[in-house]
Amino acid sequence: MKRLLSILLVVCLVLTMALAGCGDTTSKGTRTDSPSTGGTPKAEDSTGGGKATGGGDSSGSGGTRVISHDKEITIENYNVAANFHGEQTGWFGKLLKDKFNIKLSILAPQVAGDALYQTRISSGHLGDIVLLEGPNFADCVQNGLIKDISDEIKNWPNLMEYYNQIEAYNKSIPGNEEGKIYGIPCQMTNTSPTVYSQDVIYSSPQLRWDLYQAIGAPVIQDLNGLLDALEAIQKIHPTNEEGEPAYAMTLWPDWDGGDNMMGIANVVQLTTWYGEKIKGSVVLRPDGTFYKLTDKNGTYRKMLHFLFEAQQRGLVDPDSMDQDWNAVYPKIASGRVHLLWYSWQQGFWNTAERLREGNAFIFIPVMDQNYYADADTYYGSGRVFGIGAGVDEEKFLRIMEFLDWYASPEGVVYQHIGIEGFNYEVGPDGKYIIKNENALMDNLPVPEEWGGGGFNDGNNAINQWIVDSISINPKTGEPYARTYWSSYKAATQTEMKWQWAEKFGANEPAEWMKKNGKLIISPNVVVTLPTDPNDIAVIRNSCEEILEEYSWKMIFCGSEEKFNQLWDEMVAKMDGNDFDQVVQFDMQKWQIELEAKKKVMENQ
Amino acid sequence: MKLLENKRKIRSLREFLYILPFLALVAIFSYYPLYGWFYAFFDYKPPFPLTWDRFVGFKWFQTMVANKVRVAQLLSVLRNTFAISGISLAFSWFPMIFAVFLNEIRSTGFKKFVQTVTTLPHFISWVLVYSIAFAVFSSTGAVNTVAISLGLYNEPKIFLASSEHIWFKMWLWLTWKNAGWAAIMYIAAIAAIDEELITAAKVDGASRMRIIWHITIPSLMPTYFVIVMLNLANFLSNGFEQFYVFQNAFNKEYIQVLDLYVYNLAMGNGGYSLSVAVSMFKSLVSVVLLCVTNGISKLVRGHGFI
Repeated sequence: MKRLLSILLVVCLVLTMALAGCGDTTSKGTRTDSPSTGGTPKAEDSTGGGKATGGGDSSGSGGTRVISHDKEITIENYNVAANFHGEQTGWFGKLLKDKFNIKLSILAPQVAGDALYQTRISSGHLGDIVLLEGPNFADCVQNGLIKDISDEIKNWPNLMEYYNQIEAYNKSIPGNEEGKIYGIPCQMTNTSPTVYSQDVIYSSPQLRWDLYQAIGAPVIQDLNGLLDALEAIQKIHPTNEEGEPAYAMTLWPDWDGGDNMMGIANVVQLTTWYGEKIKGSVVLRPDGTFYKLTDKNGTYRKMLHFLFEAQQRGLVDPDSMDQDWNAVYPKIASGRVHLLWYSWQQGFWNTAERLREGNAFIFIPVMDQNYYADADTYYGSGRVFGIGAGVDEEKFLRIMEFLDWYASPEGVVYQHIGIEGFNYEVGPDGKYIIKNENALMDNLPVPEEWGGGGFNDGNNAINQWIVDSISINPKTGEPYARTYWSSYKAATQTEMKWQWAEKFGANEPAEWMKKNGKLIISPNVVVTLPTDPNDIAVIRNSCEEILEEYSWKMIFCGSEEKFNQLWDEMVAKMDGNDFDQVVQFDMQKWQIELEAKKKVMENQ
Repeated sequence: MKLLENKRKIRSLREFLYILPFLALVAIFSYYPLYGWFYAFFDYKPPFPLTWDRFVGFKWFQTMVANKVRVAQLLSVLRNTFAISGISLAFSWFPMIFAVFLNEIRSTGFKKFVQTVTTLPHFISWVLVYSIAFAVFSSTGAVNTVAISLGLYNEPKIFLASSEHIWFKMWLWLTWKNAGWAAIMYIAAIAAIDEELITAAKVDGASRMRIIWHITIPSLMPTYFVIVMLNLANFLSNGFEQFYVFQNAFNKEYIQVLDLYVYNLAMGNGGYSLSVAVSMFKSLVSVVLLCVTNGISKLVRGHGFI
């Protein structure tokens, strides 16, 4: 009998344990009153217990709250921007540990797969800090997954600097007309939503100045001319200095389908060279009308054809089909690529030294082009930071403290430049001077007091900022981005820049575009667009698959005839798969944004 | 009399209680998750909670075959799944033969070396296998570099981004990774063969090949059948990681197997319900396959597996 009883007990135990386990994951965990914090009374927050913070706070955020850092906490950050999954290590990890006694654990769907969003969100807790695309963020707010920070945010001066923008964003969330604060937009600026402050635009053709000079600096009329120039460059420069093969362009498939644009990543950006911008499955013309992405006369096909022709002429790296971005950037950094089209790609090659030597990349105009650029992200870039609804009070304040610092000049400098004394130093006039410019590019070891390790390895893995680098740093009166510092401009006002300015009659690429009426600036607006219903998501997904598969095949298909045949096949397949439903949906969806943009333009 | 019956009843109850924990485990881990099937009948989109107004009936099952393109896709996915599983089934004797020959190696040191080297790849993840493949077969990889410097050809050959013999290539990778591991079961079975049989055969003057053919292989047959049976049960689940890492625009048409299809179609972008529907469809095909093999087994061997 005893034995029977004990067996029964064991069974009961197994069952309850299993059920408890299951129950936990399926409940919509919006509880805020977690009992697990028992040992740490909340009183500590206001009394500023123990060795409350000292130097850390006073130098940085200067919040009106004093918060104890006695207990180490781990903050989970669900992060759509991160390329790294796991615990933040290296110098930035050490900074967070020393300053706030927090460990940052990053959950990156870009690494772990998008399914992470669905599985975590079904369990009701996405993360302590969440970083999401705007539409998903709005879904989460509507379902009570995000904490209301309306009252608390008022205690944090650095966040309050951007309160206008934060408030405008939150009011745009459907169902939140009264304007409670849930989210903090990313990359806000303290400039204006209708200007373009940067010297270069996000995507434009960039060549190496010395090679461009070596082929006689021809005026490039159109895409054909660009290919001619690239062909000539590849002829005189078939390998880099180490003798490894160099190509005009190298492509990579692992970014396809991102950034709200259907199609392969290497093509979608190029459509902005002709003033058009892909919005999901449709393309926005400069005149404010939309057309279907797979239009035979459309820019997507035109730019795809450009890459096809480049391949025909032997200008495309044969590795392009099966390499990923991690294989591409070392190629750029070692001089094996002749054409760049993202402005930030210059960061892998250009240095003050190379600008002096005249072999840096710079924008070379193609005369028939008309460039599209999004204005300064005054209201934010579309991504949003928020705090999980399930976070308890103690952690909540620690997170607010961290976010406030993250938006403070001190925090922003760490994010956009790095460590004082290693990445920059402060000149006698209080302005910054760059040091170790190649720290990121060459992953230079950081000083011992920062824990050693490579700079890039230990860099901020959140990979997204509340304050954009083009914002003005109140401490220096200059933008945070190093390329806009007066010291940097002076150091790089080199022979090469003089030559460029003389040839094109402007000091900077964006200035040339503005002067010649070749820049279309799309104002920054704050709208929250709807997410795809499931039917649309499924069709979009399978059409995207078809589009990507065929696009890659077309670049490498080998003949014009085959190119046309594949295109027709692709369009037929997509149309047969109800692509028009997605197009209809997208036209209505993006119209909302377009209307808002028109309004801003009219008010000007 | 009554006492005896009661005793028997108590005993059977006790024996039932012995297996109850295991029944509970099966119930919890195999049957309880099936409740998730009801997602297939809803339009579920996290973070929106599941409510009755999101009930859609068989919509997602119809979506699978909603238009010609999708039917064609589903058929080609099934073709790939059957072809790739079929190839590995057709070659399922390979690890057995490998084990037999491995067993014939006289030098113990060499034998252990071969066994270790062939077993090791089993513990490498597919992601690393792909990076090995990339290092060896990319256009600047080892093979192309050596061949070009030897003057065999001038332009690098594209090995990875092509669909030529892709099913067979996939089988080769799988075999490279798993043959040693799969052979372990057979090596154990060989060790269990009665020494007397072999000694007797030797006395009768049998050569090594004869012993293999008439003693070793017949003794391995029961093991072989069990393994084939297990493989058949997994016929539709021929792995996801391998094809996920090796897929690209040029081979996708032939490499997209059912599991990868479910992932590509649904998990990436919110088609939770659809992916549940597809996996239910997969379960259905699996049950049909199981019944068919069981039927064949009954016909051929006179008794089934279940």
